[in-house]
Amino acid sequence: MTTTTRTALPALPEARTSRTNRTRSGDGVTFARVVVAEWAKFTSLRSTTWTLVATVVAMVGVSVLAAWGTTIDAVDAGTGPMNLAQFLGAGYQLGQLSVAVLGVLTITGEYSTGMIRSTFAAVPRRVPVLGAKALVLAGVVALTSLVSLALSYLATMPFHDALGARLDLGDPETLRLTLGVPLYLVAISLLAFGVGVLVRHSAGALTAVIALLLVVENVLMLIPLRVIELISPFLPSTAGRRLLFDQETLTAVDAATSGAHLTPWQGYGVLLAWVAGLLVLGAWLLRRRDA
Amino acid sequence: MIEVQGLTKRYGPKTAVDGMSFTVHPGRVTGFLGPNGAGKSTTMRMIVGLDHPSAGTATVNGRRYAEHHAPLHEVGALLDAKAVHTGRSARNHLRAMAATHGIGRSRVDEVIDMTGLAPVADKRVGGFSLGMGQRLGIAAALLGDPQVLILDEPVNGLDPEGVLWVRTLARHLASQGRTVFLSSHLMSEMALTADHLIVVGRGKVLADAPVADVVAGATGKVVRVRSPRATELEDLLRRAGAGVVTTEPGLLEVTGRSRSQVGDAAADAGLPLHELTEVGGSLEDAYLQLTAEELEYQSSALDQTTGAFAPTTEGALR
Ligand SMILES: Nc1ncnc2c1ncn2[C@@H]1O[C@H](COP(=O)(O)OP(=O)(O)OP(=O)(O)O)[C@@H](O)[C@H]1O
Ligand SMILES: [Mg+2]
Repeated sequence: MTTTTRTALPALPEARTSRTNRTRSGDGVTFARVVVAEWAKFTSLRSTTWTLVATVVAMVGVSVLAAWGTTIDAVDAGTGPMNLAQFLGAGYQLGQLSVAVLGVLTITGEYSTGMIRSTFAAVPRRVPVLGAKALVLAGVVALTSLVSLALSYLATMPFHDALGARLDLGDPETLRLTLGVPLYLVAISLLAFGVGVLVRHSAGALTAVIALLLVVENVLMLIPLRVIELISPFLPSTAGRRLLFDQETLTAVDAATSGAHLTPWQGYGVLLAWVAGLLVLGAWLLRRRDA
Repeated sequence: MIEVQGLTKRYGPKTAVDGMSFTVHPGRVTGFLGPNGAGKSTTMRMIVGLDHPSAGTATVNGRRYAEHHAPLHEVGALLDAKAVHTGRSARNHLRAMAATHGIGRSRVDEVIDMTGLAPVADKRVGGFSLGMGQRLGIAAALLGDPQVLILDEPVNGLDPEGVLWVRTLARHLASQGRTVFLSSHLMSEMALTADHLIVVGRGKVLADAPVADVVAGATGKVVRVRSPRATELEDLLRRAGAGVVTTEPGLLEVTGRSRSQVGDAAADAGLPLHELTEVGGSLEDAYLQLTAEELEYQSSALDQTTGAFAPTTEGALR
């Protein structure tokens, strides 16, 4: 046998016959196609799958811990029936970190690997890429949060009786607390995505977002300067988080802070405004900057 | 067809591309040749709209790249190797690229076969060798079956078989009437692959002509003559208006006269000759001469590139 391990020279491309076919209007870049492409990219990375799994595990885990811990306390303290929604969404603090990482990496992963040049060569108008990525991210994060809620419900079932807790989605506050989880997490992932678009470097953007979510806003709240007290309620996660607080918590928070007291939906609106602002700025820079 | 007009790119105080103008025509392979840092990659990035020019314009088939409705069907570009997410497989990368234009999976499989990627197509790109990454880049460029191909150093990192394949591919694509524009700082490669050359240095076009003309135009022919009576011969040739340089005793380098003219003149004067050769005229000479003053990174980088490959001979030039 004299066959070598080398493959023969690959075939040369044939000139395709019907060039005119392919220049029809139906054949170019459309937003729907860019969304399909971004979906294909999203689902073909192992790291995204793992981040999503981690999100679900963390959120369900925190729910179970919260429910279990409260069962013990509740027995001791003998408190009355509770709103189950609070337990189901208890993991949002941890969940927001992993969806923020996902949001940042969705874009900075392309810059760090050089993929962005392939992406923009295929879609030179660029802004559709931003829209498609945001859409895919929002959809995936919403779905992941809903799955987390459902699994949390199932996982905490053993404690439902002991807590005397129920989930009455007909109750406006319960509905807000429940839907608030996917809504809040989607907004946070988009906020992180927006920061990623501006910063372009994974480490820088991650640091900025995590510092914003965990440190900056909390530290600012401690500084007794009038200016900061006025601004503080309008910071993205301080405002947006109000969607996840029940009336009792809101009252307690408001008692402890001066400055504006936003309603939960106003707070969420402020968060969305931040997201919109970042994405508009991002889109503008995206078009102007070299890839 | 690629048209570049007064294209300029500044990065802060540094001018990477300095008012370049040229046209790349269909049906032939055009080489874009220049030393490291000459601005080749930057120019190519501007042509495909990735970098914004500081001044000037670049159009492909009459329009700016970004204005094309289906850019991948117009232009296939291999820019830096591995403009690919390292966590994705080659096949998934190509499918995602194809999806933006509604290009089907069968075409993805086709370009995978064409570029010899099949054995590694489902492996993560992060583990690819330089050559495999290069093949993936070429596969992506061919995806939309474009009329214009822009390949930045396509043979970089390829094994000899791969180099031969790229050369054959480039010539084949040009023979189909496509526009093929490929950059290199390897003169030997250009001599074998290109029909036409655009030589650049420090962001400026130094030459834009068929390969043979670049060689002839830049060097001129030098006739080397060895004679025991070199001094007399030198006087004779100088009086006749030829340029003469003595490099060592008994050895003359004559310009402005052909080999036969020098030989005849010596015979008429009864001067014996021990050697009569025509030298120079290689693409390397032409290139070095053209870029001598324009070198971005003096000597070491260029010495390496010129030393690293098989010598180019006149025979290699068409
Ligand atoms: N993004 C950038 N920011 C700053 N300077 C840059 C940038 N890109 C390129 N340059 C500079 O512009 C000049 C031209 O670079 P370019 O990569 O276009 O050269 P080249 O001809 O492709 O070189 P090579 O043969 O090494 O690939 C270089 O001096 C380079 O340092
Ligand atoms: Mg280069």
